[in-house]
Amino acid sequence: MTAHSTKKHGSLLVKDARTQRRNNAELRFRAYGLTAVIVGILALIVLLVSIFSNGISAFQQTKLMITLELPEAKLDQKGQRDLDVMKKVTTIGYSKVLGNGLIDQLDRLGIATDLKDKDVREILSKESAATLRDVVLADPSLIGTTVTMEFLVNGRIDGYFKGRVDRASAELDKNVKPGQLDIADALTEHGLMYTQFNLDFILAPDASDQRPEAAGLGVAILGSIYMMLVVLFVALPVGVAASIYLEEFAPKNRLTDVIEVNISNLAAVPSIVYGILGLAIFINMAQFNQSSPLVGGLVLTLMTLPRIIIPARAALKSVPPSIRDAALGVGASRMQTVFHHVLPLAAPGILTGVIIGLGQALGETAPLLLIGMVAFVREYPAAFTADAGLFGEASTALPVQVFNWTQRADPAFVERASGAIIVLLVFLLIMNALAIFLRRRYERRW
Amino acid sequence: MTDLPIKISARNVDVFYGAIHAIKSVNVEIADKMVTSFIGPSGCGKSTFLRCINRMNDTIDVCRVTGDILIDAEDIYDRRVDPVQLRAKVGMVFQKPNPFPKSIYDNVAYGPKIHGMARNKTDLDEIVEKSLRRAALWDEAKDRLQEPGTGLSGGQQQRLCIARAVATEPEVLLMDEPCSALDPIATAQIEQLIDELRSSYSVVIVTHSMAQASRVSDRTAFFHLGELVEYGDTSHIFTNPSDKRTESYITGRIG
Repeated sequence: MTAHSTKKHGSLLVKDARTQRRNNAELRFRAYGLTAVIVGILALIVLLVSIFSNGISAFQQTKLMITLELPEAKLDQKGQRDLDVMKKVTTIGYSKVLGNGLIDQLDRLGIATDLKDKDVREILSKESAATLRDVVLADPSLIGTTVTMEFLVNGRIDGYFKGRVDRASAELDKNVKPGQLDIADALTEHGLMYTQFNLDFILAPDASDQRPEAAGLGVAILGSIYMMLVVLFVALPVGVAASIYLEEFAPKNRLTDVIEVNISNLAAVPSIVYGILGLAIFINMAQFNQSSPLVGGLVLTLMTLPRIIIPARAALKSVPPSIRDAALGVGASRMQTVFHHVLPLAAPGILTGVIIGLGQALGETAPLLLIGMVAFVREYPAAFTADAGLFGEASTALPVQVFNWTQRADPAFVERASGAIIVLLVFLLIMNALAIFLRRRYERRW
Repeated sequence: MTDLPIKISARNVDVFYGAIHAIKSVNVEIADKMVTSFIGPSGCGKSTFLRCINRMNDTIDVCRVTGDILIDAEDIYDRRVDPVQLRAKVGMVFQKPNPFPKSIYDNVAYGPKIHGMARNKTDLDEIVEKSLRRAALWDEAKDRLQEPGTGLSGGQQQRLCIARAVATEPEVLLMDEPCSALDPIATAQIEQLIDELRSSYSVVIVTHSMAQASRVSDRTAFFHLGELVEYGDTSHIFTNPSDKRTESYITGRIG
């Protein structure tokens, strides 16, 4: 009986009510967590699918091969091949030559149409005349000869090849006629109209509302690269120096406490506030050029600094104090301790922070809108010019270009905007991959 | 007490961590070429006092030291003293082995390099070999000098730290519980090493193990609640302590 009295618990083979409740609670918690993860993944998939289905076609472009005469009577009446005189012929003149070339080509191929000549000409992009003019002005000896060249087609015709436009929608659209689609089909049969990889989307500058087919990201990509260079060369040294000073040298007193709290606050300040700050300081006070990558880069630097300092300090803090003791113990100065021992160990963490900060800066739009980077920029900005200085020429940036294009009416710009997002995502992906690589490569254990 | 020349002499040393009075008016004279051990319960201030001797406490903002600590009759808390120079003269070995995450060679060579003790690579090689030999690590490490110091066993790492400390040719060697993270075999090796080091340095060791203090040291200081309770020849302290608190501690009643 005494042996029996020590048995306070029931059988271990049967779960008691309390254990059962605990296990159920754990199961429910796991289910919530898993649901959250799945919802997140699904949202990401939906986002990627929608961007890629809309945007991947931006990397393809429909082009038309035309064999046409370049009549001297129209393009260089005086026949002297004097560039200054030839430049007087505007794109309107060239667009007539080009349009006639297309109509002649249709006649030669025996493609019949009941469209007016004007409508036939509109198959071509408004950009094509400028393309032809540039080619001719670059090589005046072409005048009087017959050339075969590729031209961009109108955005709606391009849309027809990408499935955005069909005959039913063309009936309702005043910008495209079913007859034009018939011509496009006929030209495709002859192998003269085709869709190919669109390098111009990455290299060409932006184009106006009327010619989405010619719009490219060249200026935006270059502007973003310039800005990232400014951020890298200003925010990296300033941020790392500030974090080393605060972490390793600054006395711990009320002033440094205030600084510390404010750095955390600055990291949380809405980015558009930095835009106002940049407008006031860099444009109104310092008189830097509006829309320039220099100003954009400096604004993004202000925004990125706290986002670099915080992880850099965390990385420095995570270096074990025993390493500092060891270095100080053999008679290293504080600076030697930091630069010989602490900084190399913290470097992977600091670099990761810097790259993630740069990634955020690359995707930032709001502050750039305020300093005029939303402007329509047709010319590539030079890295340096005598009057604009370093990175002082007007430019735009990738996220701003996305914003810009989504506001335009032509549905072809939706495709362009999604394409631009893909380019932006690729850049971000490359930077994050670099961050992971650096962390893996240089991480050292102690 | 034997009459060896005095290396370190502390007069009325008080240490404060903010409002906490960690060391209370300690007076002690530490002889050259001898092993002196500091014993006492946790938090009694023995490590704090040890870290005053090479001014490692300077790195703690709230720490304030008053009184004089003289090494070779020079006040190390004098305004003209640069702690960096001091620490080349007073080497330190820490509780947990803390080799730099660099090669064994670089660990030992770092101190001599920053103090400009070697004119060329041959000099440096010599210093590294001499230091590793002195730390009884040469035979185990000579074929793997370029391997990371962190790859050694705990006891080897601690000997590497001792080699690193002696490489700068210090005159005083401070050891803060050097064996507390080691197994008995490694501890025995370190203790033997301390015994050999006494011929060249003034060694001060903080230890929790009274057995260790009695094995390795010539003199022992017993700290309690920030005060130096008793200081004298080790044999005397352990066999015939004059203070009640010392007696209680070594017999295991406080601590």
